[in-house]
Amino acid sequence: MADQDVAIRVEHLSKRFRIPLDRSATLKHRLTHWRSASRYRILEALLDVSFDVRAGEFIGIIGHNGSGKSTLLKILSRIYRANEGVVAIAGKVSPFLELGVGFNPELTARENIFLSGSILGLNRPELHRLFDEIIGFADLEQFVDHKLKNFSSGMEVRLAFSLAIQAHAEILMMDEVLAVGDAAFQEKCFDTFNRYKREGRTVVLVTHGLAAVTTYCDRALLLDHGRLVADGETADVTAQYRRAIGLAADGTLTANEVERWGSRDVVFTGLRMLDERGAEDRNPPTGGFVRIELGYEIQNDAVSDFVCTLWLLRADGLMVSESQLPVSQYAQVGESQRGSGGTMHFDIPQIPLLDGAYSVEVELRGRRDGAAYDHIRHAIDFRVIDRRDRHGVIEPGGAWSVVPADQPVAWRPTALPGVGQDERPVRRRR
Amino acid sequence: MSSTTDARLAGAARVSAPPLDSFRHYRHLTLELAISQFKLRYTGSALGYLWSLLKPAMIFAIMYFIFVDLFNIKDGTADYGMQVLLGIVVWTFFAECTSSSMAAIASNGGLIRKAYFPRSILVIAASLSALFTFLINLTIVFVIAVALHQIDIGLRIVVVIPLLLELYLLALGISLFLSALFVQFHDVSHLWEVLMQLLFYASGVMFSLTYVLQRLHLALQVGTTAEKAPHLVWIVQVMAANPIMQTIEDLRHALLTPVAPWTELVVSGHLAAVHQYAPLNAAWEVPVPFLVVLLVVAGGALTFRSRARSFAENL
Repeated sequence: MADQDVAIRVEHLSKRFRIPLDRSATLKHRLTHWRSASRYRILEALLDVSFDVRAGEFIGIIGHNGSGKSTLLKILSRIYRANEGVVAIAGKVSPFLELGVGFNPELTARENIFLSGSILGLNRPELHRLFDEIIGFADLEQFVDHKLKNFSSGMEVRLAFSLAIQAHAEILMMDEVLAVGDAAFQEKCFDTFNRYKREGRTVVLVTHGLAAVTTYCDRALLLDHGRLVADGETADVTAQYRRAIGLAADGTLTANEVERWGSRDVVFTGLRMLDERGAEDRNPPTGGFVRIELGYEIQNDAVSDFVCTLWLLRADGLMVSESQLPVSQYAQVGESQRGSGGTMHFDIPQIPLLDGAYSVEVELRGRRDGAAYDHIRHAIDFRVIDRRDRHGVIEPGGAWSVVPADQPVAWRPTALPGVGQDERPVRRRR
Repeated sequence: MSSTTDARLAGAARVSAPPLDSFRHYRHLTLELAISQFKLRYTGSALGYLWSLLKPAMIFAIMYFIFVDLFNIKDGTADYGMQVLLGIVVWTFFAECTSSSMAAIASNGGLIRKAYFPRSILVIAASLSALFTFLINLTIVFVIAVALHQIDIGLRIVVVIPLLLELYLLALGISLFLSALFVQFHDVSHLWEVLMQLLFYASGVMFSLTYVLQRLHLALQVGTTAEKAPHLVWIVQVMAANPIMQTIEDLRHALLTPVAPWTELVVSGHLAAVHQYAPLNAAWEVPVPFLVVLLVVAGGALTFRSRARSFAENL
């Protein structure tokens, strides 16, 4: 590869973090313990990582939480320093990783544009020139002189995004920028990324969302515990990642074809299907009692409350039902702390499904930002057994009766389609 | 084990912005941050900016009451009140600049972990925003002094600019040092609070060095020797080496009715009696405060530099 094409070259990059074991960061401790060697745990965040990024390439970095992908991005943008190795960059690098860096809620939209814009590398004349465009793109003309704290989160994200896309870096580093925003926002992201591609800008995208990587990236890197384990075509790398997390998931979660993603701020720790006696049973009878037990654990203090959704799907992918933990129950799962967790139950008094193969899909999602914390497809694969050999999908619990002939009937069925003169085609239902 | 994180690609077609451009950009960013901090300082208070005037005025009232009405301490000059006011305005700047800049790194963790720019910008911006307040307050003191005819506008006024620069550099040097340490040791904020109490009295805010020297002189006339009054000698030594005292004294000299400037105090002949006993008998005492400023700035900058690379990880 000729050097002219290379935008980023990373050679034998290693990064270690020293995590103090006894966390007493006071002078007293330093003074009394200055001779004894401090006790640290060394965390190898990145180990001998090497790769090149060509100019104009759209590259995705994926990996589980703690795989080192954000650390790598921070080293590329000079926020962290590497312990070993060389990073060479040709071109102007965006100095920010996330949207809305430097926003202050006490300042107005106008003041924030000038403050945050300066951090993004824009100068005052440029910001004056671009001001109307930024405000227009964010659709915030009426709120220019309102304080940011009075903005909705959507408005804030729009402002942050329309400002960020004005940064004229040749190499952009983005950490989970797609985790927020609604469909319209995602659409704007899509347009902007396509514009970047046309302009030949180099983009390094770190994300949990495999969909985003598949959509935008020409190439993907897979990190695992600080090592670069895959580098290549996006489709190949994401497939390898899917396989890897399937295997990494704990015993109870490894059903066939497990697919799991999310930020892991809150995780499922175990999923079981139980019968009325509390014994594990993945072959419930039609009409039988089914309890789905969901263990969860909060791994990030910052998470305030979350939504739990459970889907029942037929083997062919048809969604049979969707159910969410009711709002009234949030109080019990909120107010939680890192490391704490609990159990949720989803009880079906009489499962109405008929004989067939089904699966349970579950998701924990942030209530505010809507970001997926833990999403597991095929969390539980199960088979409903129907001994009465009925056909169809569900048992509606209907009841038959025959009206005696001598009883007067007020209503009599008339003109059924396909019967009589009116020959309309019968609409077939699936 | 190399750590050349930002080495350029050899023969790369495009290179990063030239250093001059980034310097200009960082200067712009510093000002932008300083202006927003200045705006933010008084948001949420009904009187807003007025507080930056009211605070020194109130401290002045209290101090004046205690020192003049209660203890009857005056250093013999007619415009003692004006001198104290000037001293308090200068001191307020020093105190607010160092204590607000100390948290500049620790309170901007989000910014440091998410964006790259020289970290010192945050401290410089915080100190500049304190400087803005100071310059406005100083102007007001100046206007009051003119109105009360307590000012003697002459060529000496030119000295104000280097003096303010010296004071600012001192405050910045200390801020860099404190803010870098504060990231890991919050103890420094408590320690600094106590140290500032000491510095307040060692800076001649309420009384000039002349006053202390007079006291020393008196004590010596009564028959005490320097050996018998080591605390007085010590106080004089500390005050003479203290750049805050030197700037306050020289500002008073440059702006108000002439009091003996600091340099004259140290070397002038009419204090020869004191010099015989006190250790302030040589011209080499004159550059000491300036050397202190240089040392503080160098020490602060070096401490900051060596710690700055790990701020993002430690926050």
